[in-house]
Amino acid sequence: MVNHPTKKIFQFKTVVLSIVLLLNLSLFAQDAALSADALAGEALFKANCTSCHAMNSKQLGPALQGVHTRRSDEWLVKWIRNNEALRASGDKDAIAIFNEYGGAAMNNFENLTEAQVGTIITYFKEWTPPAPKAVVTDGAPQEVNFYSQTTLYILLFLIVVLTILLLVLRKTKNSLKQSVSEIEDEKEEESAPSAFKTKFEYYKKRTNPTIFKMAVGSIVLGGLAAYGFYFGVTEIGVQQGYAPEQPIKYSHKLHAGELGIDCKYCHSTVDKSKQASVPSVNTCMNCHKGVQLRDKYNGEISPEIKKIYAAMDYDPDKAAGEQYGNNPKPIRWIRIHNLPDHAFFNHSMHTSAGVSCQTCHGPIQEMEVVQQYSTLQMGWCINCHRERNIDVENNPYYEKLHAKIKAEKDDKNSSYAKYFTKDGKIDIKPANNGALECSKCHY
Amino acid sequence: MNKLTYIILSFSIVALSSCWLKSSGDNTGIEYAPDMYYSKGYEPMTQFSDTAKYRYNPYYMTMREPVKGTVANGQLDYQYPFDNTAEGYAASASLVAPSDLTKNEQLNGERLYLIYCSVCHGEKGGNDGKVSTKQTVLKPAWANYQDPYIKNLPIGNIYHVLTYGKNNMGSYAYALTPRERWAVADYVKRLSAMDENGNIPAVASTTTMPIILNDSLTQSK
Repeated sequence: MVNHPTKKIFQFKTVVLSIVLLLNLSLFAQDAALSADALAGEALFKANCTSCHAMNSKQLGPALQGVHTRRSDEWLVKWIRNNEALRASGDKDAIAIFNEYGGAAMNNFENLTEAQVGTIITYFKEWTPPAPKAVVTDGAPQEVNFYSQTTLYILLFLIVVLTILLLVLRKTKNSLKQSVSEIEDEKEEESAPSAFKTKFEYYKKRTNPTIFKMAVGSIVLGGLAAYGFYFGVTEIGVQQGYAPEQPIKYSHKLHAGELGIDCKYCHSTVDKSKQASVPSVNTCMNCHKGVQLRDKYNGEISPEIKKIYAAMDYDPDKAAGEQYGNNPKPIRWIRIHNLPDHAFFNHSMHTSAGVSCQTCHGPIQEMEVVQQYSTLQMGWCINCHRERNIDVENNPYYEKLHAKIKAEKDDKNSSYAKYFTKDGKIDIKPANNGALECSKCHY
Repeated sequence: MNKLTYIILSFSIVALSSCWLKSSGDNTGIEYAPDMYYSKGYEPMTQFSDTAKYRYNPYYMTMREPVKGTVANGQLDYQYPFDNTAEGYAASASLVAPSDLTKNEQLNGERLYLIYCSVCHGEKGGNDGKVSTKQTVLKPAWANYQDPYIKNLPIGNIYHVLTYGKNNMGSYAYALTPRERWAVADYVKRLSAMDENGNIPAVASTTTMPIILNDSLTQSK
């Protein structure tokens, strides 16, 4: 192989580049690595301090990023080991920070030696904020709704254009056909028409033209009416698939799916009351007091979490005791599942009977935007009441019913004896237990 | 009008009805008798925009506070003697669980623990729930429930924390009735007594009265 001059230059460049890169890498490695002291400090920090402090955000105590520039090392050691004594000694800084946090005293850490506290301070000094991740513009991936309004308009426009096209084509075809037939008329020979067409022409000739028109019209109208009936029965007042955009882009997929939070954590009244209840904001705050996703948004609070704080009138950056303002605004969630007034439904009755949330609400834990999964029509209710088995044996809710069935097992006259299958198991459906009574749901 | 017009007309009706009148996205679809769907009376979880008309619920709240100075039937134990202060916390150490917690209530404590607590504190109290491992949540100073701190913590203090919350933990009084809170506190104590093999002490109570999950069934609507 001949060493081409350009190739040589190229090789030279790569060598220089790789050296520069290596240098850079080693420099970065030096930056990221902590000294042994700082590592020991980090361990102590995580064991003792993180229940109230974080490095880059204010929690129960102040953010500790750059605290060594604000206070001297000696002061920090004194404060961490015994802040009470420091305050008692009349130190102005100590009293000021105590008052800023609403008199919430920090624990004394006299179990830590001065050297140990020193390592923690070394950790503060060497700590660097984690590299910001790529900016995410939105919490949830943008849902592309196929049935959006614009798509509808485009579809309608297409329908109109295509029909016009169809008409034009038909006309040209007809005129062409006419001219062709004019030519072929001379030959007086026609190809045989289709069987349907001959029959159609035959009946057209045989019947009164008005009656014939009426018959064809009624067939067409009948078809339309059948479609209308089907549409009315399955669509009017049925909101299956309704998935409105909520004021906060709350993702059930993230919370219930990936984080595995139980439905009842938020919908806590579901086994106590008629309604499953949309949680009040304090339920969100149980986690989101801490979870602010600042590292995803370059140090800012996530815009969706900001909406929770706005509803609560809560400012995490203010001093303790002043974080909650006086102007809370409830979040106006949009109700999705809606039963008409004339039908009664009670959530607690169904959850105590052992019906899972997903039976009616579908795979909620996979939904980015919640949509109505079931039709909520009466036939849908009745089907389940007819087909579902009641687990009388293991559910304490049915203890009385179970006892009654067991007691009357061998009684020939008992109405309960028939619920025993041949292999001695109990097979009873809600329908057998009065769930088909009209007045159970309509009163 | 010729045949074609009729055909196009009927097709467009079908197309229109299947797009516009169907429910999807922000569209509720066509409704029959909307008066029946959007009740004139106040319904839970239905929020009105007309403040003048619904002046009794100006904040469109879905959950309501009890009327001031009243106690609902059978809910006397909702009154809690201690305040949400350091003194209240210290004083709550004297409280003990009601002696008549039934076996089912104690078992229910485990179920409730798994719903409300395990997301952060983990299924066995190891502070390794999915939320606390996947998200940046402040962790407690102690490693797990088997830590001597929790082992020696009076059950009254646990009840107090469940009622008011502490540090970054919120209050769970919104979801748990007083007896349920005692059952959860009881389960926390049993978890803290777990041995190295992961055996949790059995429930102490032998009373097998069924729990009443739902008072509203007997009073329905």
